[in-house]
Amino acid sequence: MLCADHLSFHYTRCDPGETPDFAFTFHLAPGECLAVSGPSGAGKSTLLNLLAGFLTPSAGRLCWVGEAVGERFGEGQGESLPKGLNEEIGENLVEQPPWARGMTTVFQDHNLFEHLPVWINVGLGLAPDLKLSDAQRESILDGLAEVGLGGLHDRLPGELSGGQQQRVALLRSLLRETRVLLLDEPFSGLDRDNREALWGLVRRQQAAGVAVLLVSHDPEDVDALAQHRLQLLDGRLVTA
Amino acid sequence: MASEALTAGKASPHGQRRLTQLPLWAGLTALAALVGLGLGSLGALLVQAPGVSPSSLWREPYLAGVLRFSLWQASLSTLVSLALAVPVAVALARRPRFVGRRLLLRAMELSLVVPSLIALFGLVAVHGRQGWAAPLWEALTGAPAGYLYGLSGIVLAHVFYNLPLAARLLLQELERAPAAHWRLAAQLGLQRQAIWRTLEWPALKRLLPRLAALIFTLCFTSFAIVMTLGGGPGSTTLEVALYQALKFDNDLALAALLALVQLTICLGLWALALSQGGAPSLVAGDDAMPLQGRWQRRDALGVSRFTDGCWLVALSLLLLPPLAAVVLAGLGGVTDLAAQSSLWPALGRSLVMAAGAGSLALMLGLALLAGRGWLAARGQRLTAGLMEGSGQLILVLPALVLGTGLFLLLRPRLGGGWQGYGLVVLVNGFMALPFVMQVLRGALLGLPVAQRRLADQLDIQGLARFRWLLWPRLRRPAALALAYAMTLSLGDFSVIALFGSPSAPTLPMLLYQQLGSYRWQTAAATALVLLATVAALFMCFAWLTRRLPRYPFACPPRPDFPQPPANDRPEP
Repeated sequence: MLCADHLSFHYTRCDPGETPDFAFTFHLAPGECLAVSGPSGAGKSTLLNLLAGFLTPSAGRLCWVGEAVGERFGEGQGESLPKGLNEEIGENLVEQPPWARGMTTVFQDHNLFEHLPVWINVGLGLAPDLKLSDAQRESILDGLAEVGLGGLHDRLPGELSGGQQQRVALLRSLLRETRVLLLDEPFSGLDRDNREALWGLVRRQQAAGVAVLLVSHDPEDVDALAQHRLQLLDGRLVTA
Repeated sequence: MASEALTAGKASPHGQRRLTQLPLWAGLTALAALVGLGLGSLGALLVQAPGVSPSSLWREPYLAGVLRFSLWQASLSTLVSLALAVPVAVALARRPRFVGRRLLLRAMELSLVVPSLIALFGLVAVHGRQGWAAPLWEALTGAPAGYLYGLSGIVLAHVFYNLPLAARLLLQELERAPAAHWRLAAQLGLQRQAIWRTLEWPALKRLLPRLAALIFTLCFTSFAIVMTLGGGPGSTTLEVALYQALKFDNDLALAALLALVQLTICLGLWALALSQGGAPSLVAGDDAMPLQGRWQRRDALGVSRFTDGCWLVALSLLLLPPLAAVVLAGLGGVTDLAAQSSLWPALGRSLVMAAGAGSLALMLGLALLAGRGWLAARGQRLTAGLMEGSGQLILVLPALVLGTGLFLLLRPRLGGGWQGYGLVVLVNGFMALPFVMQVLRGALLGLPVAQRRLADQLDIQGLARFRWLLWPRLRRPAALALAYAMTLSLGDFSVIALFGSPSAPTLPMLLYQQLGSYRWQTAAATALVLLATVAALFMCFAWLTRRLPRYPFACPPRPDFPQPPANDRPEP
């Protein structure tokens, strides 16, 4: 279970109406999907960037805890980690660089390297140095065929539609088999068919035990995927 | 907000943790080599000079005259070039489509690197006493055409070089304006004045100070043009006086003094220009702007059709006849080529030296920029700026001074022969460095934020990061930079004049010898060979990197797998 405990961040500069201070506390079980909503500027992207390690928090903990500790939370979100549990709590993920956190982010756009064909974009998720085994090559082809992109492995991202690009990005996250999937409005601006196909991909990952954190404006996405919902108010996560 | 924090570089301490310090060390090595050799050579000159007396600058009328003339011709050349380049650039921006536009732009880009002796050859063929334009001039003024010699000739040659360059760079700046602005201008129906004030002038204003500094520096230190067209002590510049002091009088004190004066003036000028802010690119990009945003302009109608036409014809008349003259005269002398026994060894010598100088400049430029990026990522902005700025040193330090200083430094062990040529390669590499760095800058100044985050999350580091993320973006600019550097070295006729031996000439030296002995036909053929080599270099490098590499997918061996439908390969 992923636990964030007063994960804090402070912006030195912000526009009027934006929140400068954040402290995030929540937990997320494997196979679960948690949706976070809030007006723009509320800090949704800040939350995802903190989790992924693109921003460094000023204080707080982010860690994996075992089932036993997780059960004590029950359904109540927004509670701090119990004190005195340090020996049961795994390492603080805050100390880890982005690549060691076991997380994959899918953004609204720019998820792919524009100058590299589809198969390399997927392959880099399997092997960062792109030394792919035959089995891995096969899994790329199979995966592409499964998401309806069979035969398009040589295309450049610019030659695909927006929905197809997002499918490639989600396929890569699927093949990476990380523990957490962070979705930063990945379905925006796509038509219904594309979104349903992408939801299916997310559900597959959930079924495989991946914890999903979804940031989306669209209630349809939230209804389709999320089991739990939280809202961002004044830099804090509260039950919606 | 979030992106701001990310680009600040401090927010992501892990971002580069596992990258080695290789970029830093490469950058520092290049920096040490550059600054060490640059300042070392100047120092060597100063030490060897038995007493430099700055007061002789104003006490000796000869020196005062040289200084005055240098400043005067450079100012005049800069002023004329820029004043004419602005309307030309505006006209070119307003006419996005006409026959021969691409060709004209290509010729303008190349004007910077056309070897000066070739340009001179063409200018003499067109504007000389027996040139193509001479009858016209005589009919108009009644006097024989002697305007190519003296001040007017020097300014004409400098304008021939710098006007196309300036206009090309200004045009690039104009075309960089966001398409949305031009869309808006079209919808609002902005008129000439309004477009100039809202769009054109703000864009040009950014570039003008640096452009002026660049052109002034190039004219101020110009060597071959002044030496050929100057004719006499009345019109001599510091650079030519420096050459004479070194080559004929062996007067190191005077050379050191002249070098210092030149250095001071150029440094002061660049400081002034750089303090005007902004760092626009000073090298034209290799590919044309995407043609997606061509909106109709209200001011492109009516009388401007005529005035734009006039400007473009005038530009073509300045630029193209000398180049055409080289080609035509060269074709006439082609039959001589076989008989010229010294031509091919000279060409080989030139190419080898150009390859050496080009690779040197490319490696130094890459190292400096990598070091700069490494430092900038850690918030060391000042050091980073210093590292990048050191590549521009040669723009203010005369190449002759660098060469001579190095010669003095290495003299005990440096014999003649190939060692002199090695020195020339070194100096040529340094000379090309500012241009190489301008071309490489954009590609090497780091990945966009989105790509960097992605690469971090996927753990693409070190060699793989270079291989898959940097190299694809770098190869085109690197090829272009190499072509620029090799061309500059191919056409160099300043350092080689000092160190080359007449019995083993490079191509420009051979050309100069042939011109000097009035072997017009042979010289024309040599000039054509030089020009063709330059053009072939550019075409070759552009062809090698003409499109993104395709990364073919190696299908895993399995019998049941149907071959993917090939999109770009026809079925046999």
